[in-house]
Amino acid sequence: MKISNKFLFAVFLTGFSIYLVFALNPEGASRILLNLLTFAGIYGLSAIGLNVHFGWTGLLNFGHASFMGVGAYVTLLLMPHAAGREGEITSTGLPFIVALIIGILSAALFGLLLGLPAIRLRGDYLAIVTIAAAEIFRLLVRDLESITGGVYGIINYTENLQKYRPNFINNFSESLEFSPSQAWVCLVAWVSILFTVLFLKRLNNSPWGRALRAVREDEDAVRAMGKNAVWLKLQSFMLGAGIAGLSGVLLAFNYGSLETTVFVPLLTFYVWAIMILGGVGTITGPIFGSIIFWVIISETDRLAFILFENANGQQLAGVRFLLVGLLIMALMIFRPSGLLGKKEELLLDVK
Amino acid sequence: MLDQLGNGLLLGIIISVASVALSLLYGVTRIVNFAHGEIIALGAIMTLFFSSPVDYRVLFLDKYSPLGYNFALSCILAVIVCGLFGALLEVCLFRPLRKGNVGNIAVLVVTIGLSIFIRHLYLLFATGKVQDFPLELQRRQTYLFFDMTPRNLNVLIAGIVVMLIFGFLLTYTRLGKAMRAVRDSEELSSVSGINSDNIILITWISSSMLAGLAGIFQAIINDVRWNMGFLILLLIFAGTVLGGIGTSFGAMVGGFLIGILVQVSVGLPFMEGHTEAKNAVALAIMILILLFRPQGIFGQKERIS
Repeated sequence: MKISNKFLFAVFLTGFSIYLVFALNPEGASRILLNLLTFAGIYGLSAIGLNVHFGWTGLLNFGHASFMGVGAYVTLLLMPHAAGREGEITSTGLPFIVALIIGILSAALFGLLLGLPAIRLRGDYLAIVTIAAAEIFRLLVRDLESITGGVYGIINYTENLQKYRPNFINNFSESLEFSPSQAWVCLVAWVSILFTVLFLKRLNNSPWGRALRAVREDEDAVRAMGKNAVWLKLQSFMLGAGIAGLSGVLLAFNYGSLETTVFVPLLTFYVWAIMILGGVGTITGPIFGSIIFWVIISETDRLAFILFENANGQQLAGVRFLLVGLLIMALMIFRPSGLLGKKEELLLDVK
Repeated sequence: MLDQLGNGLLLGIIISVASVALSLLYGVTRIVNFAHGEIIALGAIMTLFFSSPVDYRVLFLDKYSPLGYNFALSCILAVIVCGLFGALLEVCLFRPLRKGNVGNIAVLVVTIGLSIFIRHLYLLFATGKVQDFPLELQRRQTYLFFDMTPRNLNVLIAGIVVMLIFGFLLTYTRLGKAMRAVRDSEELSSVSGINSDNIILITWISSSMLAGLAGIFQAIINDVRWNMGFLILLLIFAGTVLGGIGTSFGAMVGGFLIGILVQVSVGLPFMEGHTEAKNAVALAIMILILLFRPQGIFGQKERIS
């Protein structure tokens, strides 16, 4: 396989940003790095799923947070957990791996349910419908307190994953002074990315993958070849939603408690920024995009702390979003293909 | 259920004015503007900045004082600032994008980035606190069969008058005709001697001024928040879509319908104890409209699938 200059540049930039973390944080760099690599892994996985929607098939999905949310809520609620105002304990439940599979399938099913009616809409209308559907999902989850814990959220579920933590993680974490539970989530996230990427690489070269990209380029031509374009789009919607569901579960395990505020539209826009940065239509792009993105985010937080001494916590947290907005705008105007994408593979006009 | 009608009308006037603005912009430029909510918030925040008492050190990281102007003057100034801001966006951002033949979807993503950026600028410089205009409290009174304060009744009447004048201008003046011409075909209208750049600039300015006005209304009826525009943006989309995207009259009626539906749905039997989910009703209606009558109530048929 020939390695392109773009790829080398992406690797270099990623390496440089990780170096920056060490350079800017004389103390506790390894802990900061673990934290941002965990987030990068989880969001990167989600961005890979979004790329199946937008990059491969050209579906303008702005409700990605809801797919992550469905995966997370279904999985957590099927396992032993505590939820709601009183912290009502559910002590029985399915083992982690079974609950996870059901969670991923539910996210894919939600993708199908949303996709069935919405997929016939033109690009910009699909954007509005998906973002509205994601908000409906969030409002309902917040409202159905008896099932989902509402605003009080879900707690005491992390043990379901942590009990499978292998011993070497404990030893390893002790020597590097970071939290073993986060190190385990991080490892699981990156192993998931590895398998997802291998799986998608295979799909991409299959007749199915080629048909999917053909839908993005010219839907009528696909129809003329006797392929069912709508069903192809739906399959793509389900596949991307399933991957998002998996990343939602991992996000929940990284947080340690799940609240509805996690799945606000801003989460979707984070994932969009990562996807555009990495390269729309690529498979590995979001991985690089995600690491660079999270280095920028975590260092911005420190910079904001120094720059705006009068600001309160909410305002400091706002500085990173300021940057996310700017990043999305600048990338879309100056380099819509991101680090690894190809310009000719971008769907930028309404079809 | 009927006791919510007054609230519904008030939410309706906010959405209605903002929907007319959004619909106008979409009609002429085909931009789905996700940053619309931020122009709405700008109207409210600027009014707060102009009108709050001088010793009220809250704005701008607690460093600067508001100006303490007369309230009516502040509103006018704020609307003008919104218009200028719209002009700035068009000249510095969207005109170059249009000249560079950047596609609709790319522009849509740019407006999302813009929206996130501006909104968090407000958070940084206008604080995350919920603030009120410096106006005295008023008691609710009953008019016909709905309750509202006299001030809110004035807002309602003013909003309807503004929209009627606006609709009249769009329908009967040369400017309105030119806008419709640019909407139908930018090239053909240029050939007929219409300066399409100017028309689009005027569209941006008038859309932003209307949005700013909607923000002032929202702040008078409720309060000023840094994210007030984003909170109401999806309802504005719903209003626009319901009335028929690209039609001013439709957006006006659609906005009122959404406002009333959201507030009245609080009184529905199955919504008891679930008032937080009221916005979900409006969004669900929007999705249904898009699926079954995508041109809305008043829109013309157009391929959107």
